[in-house]
Amino acid sequence: MKFLPLIWAAIMRKPVRTGLTLLSVMIAFTLFGITIGMNATFDKVAAGAHDDRIFTNQRFFGTGMPLAQVGQTARIPGIAQVAYLDVLAGYHEIERNRAFALMTSDNYGKMYPDWPITPAQWDMLHKVRDGVLVSRIQAEHWHIKPGDIFTIASTQDKRADGKAWNLKVLAVVPDVAYMTGGFMLGNYEYFNKAQPLGKQDKIGQIVTQVSDPSQTAAIAQQIDTHFANSAIATLSTTEKAALDISNSGLDLAALDRKIALAGMFMVLFLTANGIAQSVRERLAEFATLKTIGFTDKAVVLLVFLEAALPCLLGALLGVGLAAFLSGQLPRLFPPGQGTPPLPTMTAMVFVWAAVCAGAVALISAALPALRLKRMDIATALSGRAT
Amino acid sequence: MNLLRQTLAICAMNFRNLKTRFWPSMVIVAGLGATIGVLLSMMSVTQGIRQVYINSGDQMRSIVVSANADGEGESAITRAEAALIVDAPGIARGPDGKPLADRGLNMGIPVLRKDGSKGYTTMRGYGPMAQKVRPEFHIVAGRMFHFGQREMVAGEGARFLFQNMNIGDDVILPGGPWKIVGIFRAGDITDGQVIGDTETMLTALHRNAYNSILVRLASYNSLDTLKRALTTNPALSVKVERHSDWYNRAAGNNSNFLARLAYAIGAVMAIGALFGCLNTMYSAVGARGREIATLRALGFSAIPVMVSVILEALVLAVGGALIGAGAAWLLYDGKQDFFGTNVFHLTVPPVLVGIGVIWAIVVALLGGLPPSIRAARRPVVDALRAT
Repeated sequence: MKFLPLIWAAIMRKPVRTGLTLLSVMIAFTLFGITIGMNATFDKVAAGAHDDRIFTNQRFFGTGMPLAQVGQTARIPGIAQVAYLDVLAGYHEIERNRAFALMTSDNYGKMYPDWPITPAQWDMLHKVRDGVLVSRIQAEHWHIKPGDIFTIASTQDKRADGKAWNLKVLAVVPDVAYMTGGFMLGNYEYFNKAQPLGKQDKIGQIVTQVSDPSQTAAIAQQIDTHFANSAIATLSTTEKAALDISNSGLDLAALDRKIALAGMFMVLFLTANGIAQSVRERLAEFATLKTIGFTDKAVVLLVFLEAALPCLLGALLGVGLAAFLSGQLPRLFPPGQGTPPLPTMTAMVFVWAAVCAGAVALISAALPALRLKRMDIATALSGRAT
Repeated sequence: MNLLRQTLAICAMNFRNLKTRFWPSMVIVAGLGATIGVLLSMMSVTQGIRQVYINSGDQMRSIVVSANADGEGESAITRAEAALIVDAPGIARGPDGKPLADRGLNMGIPVLRKDGSKGYTTMRGYGPMAQKVRPEFHIVAGRMFHFGQREMVAGEGARFLFQNMNIGDDVILPGGPWKIVGIFRAGDITDGQVIGDTETMLTALHRNAYNSILVRLASYNSLDTLKRALTTNPALSVKVERHSDWYNRAAGNNSNFLARLAYAIGAVMAIGALFGCLNTMYSAVGARGREIATLRALGFSAIPVMVSVILEALVLAVGGALIGAGAAWLLYDGKQDFFGTNVFHLTVPPVLVGIGVIWAIVVALLGGLPPSIRAARRPVVDALRAT
């Protein structure tokens, strides 16, 4: 405790230098927070994936899978339940405003008990045929509230009567982590029957739950084998694999780590130089401390803490700023076109930031500390040491 | 003239004793090196994607798609429509009098990448006229597929990045395997794709519409003729676009978001580097307080002192930026990679290095100006007395 005033005095000796260092460290850790927070989101999404669910899509782009494939899938041994959806894709008012709704089968709620949607809300969706449940992100973007009518016009999913889709907003529900642009859930039955006869009974995706999670991958394979020679071949992916970022085409997690590392590299030079300079300027003071009985260890600790304090504070402020910025990010992207995953500041992000800040301080303080340890007190006191 | 001579004298002095301020100077070099390294590494991706799309277009070609389609995938052109389109005026004709128009097919197929991850690439159908419409397309290994047979050729990029894309491998389509019989290069987006015979593919896929018609224009200006003929024909509902414009738009759609992201991250890092630069230059000015005061006392005016401080920041920042740009170039330039379904070469062209240097100059000016003002305005007597 007696060290505190000493460290404070050292830090405040050059307030401009300390302030600039702090700002620079803070900025680097804002970047760190956003990139590593992004990775935390990837991890959270991957960890939240249920290992007993399979997504089945058509293998080759086309007009959709026939509804009959749902029944056939359900008869494959080892499958507990099957749900399905089709996507209503279009635009709201003007073509630039892409909008889409996932039109789900009646048992979709049973398939996704982990989604933040209550059974009562699912029931409402079954009963009100033209209703939709809207997630917060989408509700905020379109400025809609329960009771509103949300219109989607579509060129590919036309109603038999040629009108646009007028969807009643039933409730606003919380978001699901991996649907980063938010979502709208509608009623497949209604969607299906309102389309022209020739377009009816087509679906976009089948979701399957298996009874034994250890068999998920094997059953996904079995589904594809079953449909391999049918008119519409399928491509099944386990939810685990589908939500794994490394399958998305670019290893974003690795990219994030590299960017964070570059930021740390920048801060390392800055902090190391700052502390070296500060120690050089105060050699005589340290010599005095040693003369009045401070041990080598105590002096080294002083130097380390002097380096660590701005680092840790900057890390905390930076990650805090990153958390604030992440909260603002959704406003920057139009929904319906896919937004990037947004960073989450989990406890792990703060821990990693602290570890990195500590490491930067440790490396920065190493050389000056060594110098103080080896310093000749008499020379230093005389002011001749440089 | 006198100002210039003074400036030169001070700058020469500064740079001669720069080595005594080596480590503090490295803060600027490292800060800008990291900033520009990250910026250019990310931009090498967007630049690579832009380039591969821009290479794909040709001013002398025009693409015809359904009127409401944004991409080839959303477009459907029936056989009857195709017959009308290829006979339209404005299309170049071969020596045999046949129009240089190719009925194309375009569709995603699942692939397994070499790293084991799953992805999609594009499968295209080419007709007999394809090679006349696309002279850049040529076979580099094996042979061209035979029309009417279940054969395909794979792009060099596809062979490099995906599993099972060598000559002799099979591509699985509905109705069975298609053999890969050759490898092609076109120097554009198709290098990451696989190509077969349009008509045979239509049969295998149970489809009866093409995705697009690509035509070679009779002359640069015949696009208008073609456009008028096709858009005024009541039997057609199509959109006609110059092939280069089509791909320039695609280049923007596919790279703008990434470019914005790169600039955002680069800007955040640049702000961090700016504080580092300010810090270094303030302490450099502080350390040379007496030296500067002596110069001022000797009759040097304030402006050369300011200029010398800013110039020092500039040299260090630009040096750092060049190191960062060099690192990005060494690591990424020319490397083949993919993003989504796009296969392309990462590039760090001189223009990107130029952008990096401009960023460094901005940071140095902002970071050098306040310390330079302090250096110039500090009262001479105080500075001389200061220890």
